[in-house]
Amino acid sequence: MGGYGDVQMIDENGLRMDGRKPGDLRPISIETGVIPVADGSCRMVWGTNEAIVAVYGPMEAHPRKIQRQDRAVIDVAYNMAPFSTTDRIRPGFNRRSREISKVTKDALESVVLLELYPRSKIRVSIEIVSAEAGTRCVGLTAASVALADAGIPMTDMVISVASGKVNDVVVCDLNKEEDNYGEADLPMGILPNTGELVFLQMDGDLSPDEFKQAWDYNVDAAMEVHKLMIDALKGGDN
Amino acid sequence: MSAPTVPNLLRDHLADLAQNDSRLDGRDQFGARELKLETGILPRAEGSARVTMGNTIVLAGVKFQLMTPYPDRPNQGGLMCSCEVRPIAGRHWEAGPPSPEAIELGRVVDRGIRESGCIDVDDLCIIPGEKAWQVILDLHAISDDGNLFDAFALAGIAALRSATVPAERFEVGQDSPLKVSKKPIMCSYHKVGGRFVYDASYKEELGGDERIHITLGDDNHVHSLQKGLKGIFTADEFEEIMEHAKSRCAELRKIVD
Repeated sequence: MGGYGDVQMIDENGLRMDGRKPGDLRPISIETGVIPVADGSCRMVWGTNEAIVAVYGPMEAHPRKIQRQDRAVIDVAYNMAPFSTTDRIRPGFNRRSREISKVTKDALESVVLLELYPRSKIRVSIEIVSAEAGTRCVGLTAASVALADAGIPMTDMVISVASGKVNDVVVCDLNKEEDNYGEADLPMGILPNTGELVFLQMDGDLSPDEFKQAWDYNVDAAMEVHKLMIDALKGGDN
Repeated sequence: MSAPTVPNLLRDHLADLAQNDSRLDGRDQFGARELKLETGILPRAEGSARVTMGNTIVLAGVKFQLMTPYPDRPNQGGLMCSCEVRPIAGRHWEAGPPSPEAIELGRVVDRGIRESGCIDVDDLCIIPGEKAWQVILDLHAISDDGNLFDAFALAGIAALRSATVPAERFEVGQDSPLKVSKKPIMCSYHKVGGRFVYDASYKEELGGDERIHITLGDDNHVHSLQKGLKGIFTADEFEEIMEHAKSRCAELRKIVD
């Protein structure tokens, strides 16, 4: 996390720099069926974030050594496009995108009914074409919509939201400035039907009370996003 | 990209269609798919475009960096064009370092734009010998249903023409539109069923043979050519597609602002 408290990000009325109350989400829009050649796809615009996700499969898993005799494997590739940030990102592998790919895969493998497709592979490609803050959350949430759009059976979808702390105030869904100068960040992946978790990370500094507040914000926000996902899947082009 | 298996059935079918002057989707030899060009669609890029050609979708984004001019060219900035086709674009594209196909794509598009002289590299110099702009055009495929070449080239020139030089952010003066004086346009032809067709779909590429890419600038000056894949073509065949390229490029030039 960045600096501590030198930047004023909560005004005297308790509002944030972009006018949101501490518990508010950024504006979100969701569209399915955006990639005609994919089996399922989703575009999710969340604040200034934009993630595009394609799902291919289930298909034959190759090379053979990645096959599992009793279940499918999910291959997740998370990537930020070179033009997705203020300073250009050099294309190619980096440790950050590899870690995010891995935790996203771990989250999705927890909900997809993998045993229905032995020896096969489901490919999930996440491209962040515009980044603000919380791209891993947008990528994971959009990936679960794309899996649903592809008709892949899941126990539940995953909604990922991050809450954190700025100027000693706990806030939901950090924007870029709050992420850069804030004091904590708690991204979670929540199953809306049971309230269970499949993804959890945290860095920064939160007291037990602040932690509880951030957790509750995430759970409430997830229920809100879930409604938007259902609407997109019901009203989508596919 | 792993080498796909091409069933002879597909090749035979494409040859039959060619006999009847038809194609898989009913187009004639030089028919184009529906085309849509949108600019200014990526909030973090200084210039951007999305091109949709049938089921093919690509993005282009322009970013700027400060560079030290090369010692032998102290008054010039730079232009770089880079292309990525990541696994999102289709089941036949795989993760990993850029494939030879993706590198060829980027380089052919780059040559067309560079050689047209549409960007004056002298104009990108800020302080001779010390500071200059490097313009970076990144091409990103979203959905590959064939003819990524033309889609990338069109998105590329449109993104450059929509770009703003972010001088204020780098504290080297005032923001201004990037000067792009010309409109190089690429037209690509694939040998399918024994004849060249324009704007091939992925299946036509799969069941076809060689391809030819032609980039024409304003006044139909030729700026880049590329023959790709195995195959033999005649001078007459080339003349025929060149004639079509001239008229098609003129149409497309009107679509780019």
